[in-house]
Amino acid sequence: MNNSYQSTFQGFARSVGRPGVRNYLLVLNLTGLTERAAQRVAAQLANACLISMPHGVAITGAGEEPVDATLLQLARHANVGAVLALSADRNKAARFAEALSDIGKPLDVLVLDSFHRDIASFCEAAAAIGRDRVLMLSSQRRTPFAMTELSLAVECGMSDPTSGIAANPLVGAFVDRFVGAGGTVIFGETAEWLGLENQLVERSACESVGRRILSAVRRREDAAKAIGLDLTNNNPNKANIDSGLTTIEDKAIGSVSKSGTLPISGVLSYGEPPQEPGLYAMDGPSYTPESLTGLVAADTQMALFTTGLGNSYVSALAPTLKITGNDQTASKLRNQIDFDCSDIITRNARVPDVLGRLDRALTDIASGDLTRGELMGEGNEVVARFGETL
Amino acid sequence: MSNRRIPAIGLQVMDTVGVVLEPVSASQEVVVQFGETSVSVTAVEAVPKFHKIALRDIAKGEEVTRSGTVIGEASAAIPAGGWLHVHNLRSRRGRRD
Repeated sequence: MNNSYQSTFQGFARSVGRPGVRNYLLVLNLTGLTERAAQRVAAQLANACLISMPHGVAITGAGEEPVDATLLQLARHANVGAVLALSADRNKAARFAEALSDIGKPLDVLVLDSFHRDIASFCEAAAAIGRDRVLMLSSQRRTPFAMTELSLAVECGMSDPTSGIAANPLVGAFVDRFVGAGGTVIFGETAEWLGLENQLVERSACESVGRRILSAVRRREDAAKAIGLDLTNNNPNKANIDSGLTTIEDKAIGSVSKSGTLPISGVLSYGEPPQEPGLYAMDGPSYTPESLTGLVAADTQMALFTTGLGNSYVSALAPTLKITGNDQTASKLRNQIDFDCSDIITRNARVPDVLGRLDRALTDIASGDLTRGELMGEGNEVVARFGETL
Repeated sequence: MSNRRIPAIGLQVMDTVGVVLEPVSASQEVVVQFGETSVSVTAVEAVPKFHKIALRDIAKGEEVTRSGTVIGEASAAIPAGGWLHVHNLRSRRGRRD
């Protein structure tokens, strides 16, 4: 079956890196003083995507490097066609301009003091540049690519017992097929490996990968212990538990099943892109907005996001396909759910039969069909805080 | 309705729990499907939809397994056909004791 996977999509060629499934102007705000201006600029422009880090120069010391690295990765993302960076701090702007000089796509960096610190003229200048860039981007055309040129994020949020029975195993079966054919997939949410770490170690491509998995799990578990956090009612949360999930180990069975069964090629740091195709584990937070942004910063062009009870969060940059195995959620949340696989439970549908339907949904969205989250304008990116988020 | 058999899903045959696919009342028979094979158990109490039912007697302190994985330990004795949830199952992870 792996060899037979030959799906294609229509995407945007890039002079550097993977093809895009979208062609956004990224409005990248680097400082707190310019955040509202950046919001106004992005709101005026069609096909603009805003990513904002309002804490800006307040992030210092050991926390600065990983946050800046994540923002730079988001600017390099395959779904970004051009970057408009806004900053009230000249040094930060200069560092970003320097780091992005080889980005292979148009980059404009505007600094507030170039406009005598006048936010009105700063805003208008940014919008004028943005309009030109959006027009230019709209003249670019899609061309065909193999689906396996994509890197995909897999994520779950607001899980219930159907997640572990239907949606996550379905995604896992797709991951096996996709990675087996040469694609790339990244899963994260380290705290949801608890109880399953020995199975993940057995799947490690080499010993050092296994060691990194064990140390990542130990670090999260120790962090929870150190602050006296009882995982029960935190992860799993109260809604997970009311739905029928019990312990973190119970929830982890479903969560890990979305990574499929293939060997794990490597463990990535938050937002770190893999260097080769394959299946990767990212050591990252379980809190959905931070987790998904870490996976997207690693240049995943789309996300497969399973939910049991419904979770409205989607990535701004990577179209996020919402998948549920809960028939009631599918019928109640028509404006959120892109893919209903509840027939695996209600009508005993076979996973291999549902896989073909899932693949068609993915290729359609990769080629430009909107997800429900895009339609609703729900997309956002939330960079993790360092010190840790569990 | 009490003589209707309620479907449930198990993941591995050695598991001590199944997940019921419909709400269960006391004394209803639950049939837990493990792929091609099935195990049946009579509920001794109500079990909410998608919650877990014990497939055999579980002693206090005993490991509970699902999908061949330990998901915690019984914090109280649980009879076969009992509702297994956070009131009688506790995690073994992230604990300070």
